[in-house]
Amino acid sequence: MTGTLALMKLSHEQLREEILHIWNTSKHKWVIPIHIGPIDISISKIEWFLFIGVAITFLFLFIGSRLLKDRPGAYQVLVEETYGFGRNMLGGGGKGQIGEEGYRWFPYTLAIFVLLLVLNLMALIPNTYPVTTNLSFTGVLAILTFLITQYQGVKHHGLRGYLKDFAPPDLPAKAVLWPAMWFLRLIQEFTKPLTLAVRLYANIISGHLIIFVFLSFILYFGTFFAIVSVPAAVVFYAFEIFVAVIQAYIFAILTQVYIEIAIYGEG
Amino acid sequence: MGTIVDLTNTSLIFWEIISFLILLLLLYKFVYPPIRDQIQRRQAEIEEAIDEAEKTRNEARELLEEYRRQMEEARHEARRILDESRKQGEAQRERIKNEARQEGDRIIRQAREEIGRERDMALREVRQEVADMVIQASQQVLGREIDRDEHERLIEAALDNLEAEVAGSAGRR
Repeated sequence: MTGTLALMKLSHEQLREEILHIWNTSKHKWVIPIHIGPIDISISKIEWFLFIGVAITFLFLFIGSRLLKDRPGAYQVLVEETYGFGRNMLGGGGKGQIGEEGYRWFPYTLAIFVLLLVLNLMALIPNTYPVTTNLSFTGVLAILTFLITQYQGVKHHGLRGYLKDFAPPDLPAKAVLWPAMWFLRLIQEFTKPLTLAVRLYANIISGHLIIFVFLSFILYFGTFFAIVSVPAAVVFYAFEIFVAVIQAYIFAILTQVYIEIAIYGEG
Repeated sequence: MGTIVDLTNTSLIFWEIISFLILLLLLYKFVYPPIRDQIQRRQAEIEEAIDEAEKTRNEARELLEEYRRQMEEARHEARRILDESRKQGEAQRERIKNEARQEGDRIIRQAREEIGRERDMALREVRQEVADMVIQASQQVLGREIDRDEHERLIEAALDNLEAEVAGSAGRR
């Protein structure tokens, strides 16, 4: 608000700074500097919000699991329904998405779902750092999915069997097509986690950027533009709540499906 | 671009791995088991309750069936009793009627016999009386003793004659 008089004088560069200020400044706020050799593991605003999100995730489920009664209240129903959601939607209600072996993995994907949901929703509070708009964060979760997927594939089929399963054996013109298919599948194994990471990151950050861009029009064109900017921002804000839930679910269900595909094969 | 595409944020990567693993550990150790147990227990309880309700309903149905059967039986029994008593009443009436008729017949027959006996007796007495009177009157008229036996025979014959005449006139009429 210091620049009320200088509103019209904002350059594109300054406007860009305004829009991106959260992502620009968070790394240098609330810093506890820690270094292991050359590696920087300082705790900044980014990590603080990660911790808060993890803590809320844990406490929400933990307190719910300690207060279990035979006649449940609203909070217990919420926690139980969350667990039931993981069991039925992610774990396929005991049968898994593809096979029963996959059911064992639903607690893992449920943890991802709740954590991402909490972080996504927290990110809608102004002046927080949206952790899920950081590619490092989504990338690590995607790489974990990748590692689990490959490990399960090798564990259930053996390394040879797993690699042989990359392409179907009954292809026409096998000598040419089979290596081509195999190579495509190989690339797919790496694009899967890549798309996981980028999908979540891009969906969440685009929502935030749209809101900030609409609001920045006020700075660029003048206060009167709030008539357009604020309703648009509110509409997109509401839409972002929906996106927050759906993206958390997509990440979790895809992780579940990828793991089960590795266990059972594409067929 | 560097701030939006924050691909090599080592501190976030490090702390994310640490905190996510701790989260998983805590969830697997302290959160999932009690919730799972609770849900399973409730499920078992609900199934039990459903079974119980099913059993109770079956029992109720059986009971109802039993009552219906008993009711039907009672109705049959009542009808049977009614029929029997009606039959019995009928038989009793018939028997009483018969008895009464027999009694009446018997009484009438007795009365007839009595009457017959009385008449005979009266007739004999009258005859005796008439005979005595005639004898007396004859004695007085004749002034002497007449042979009683002879006399009686005569009178007897006269009376018989008379009777025959009376019976003849009655038969003619």
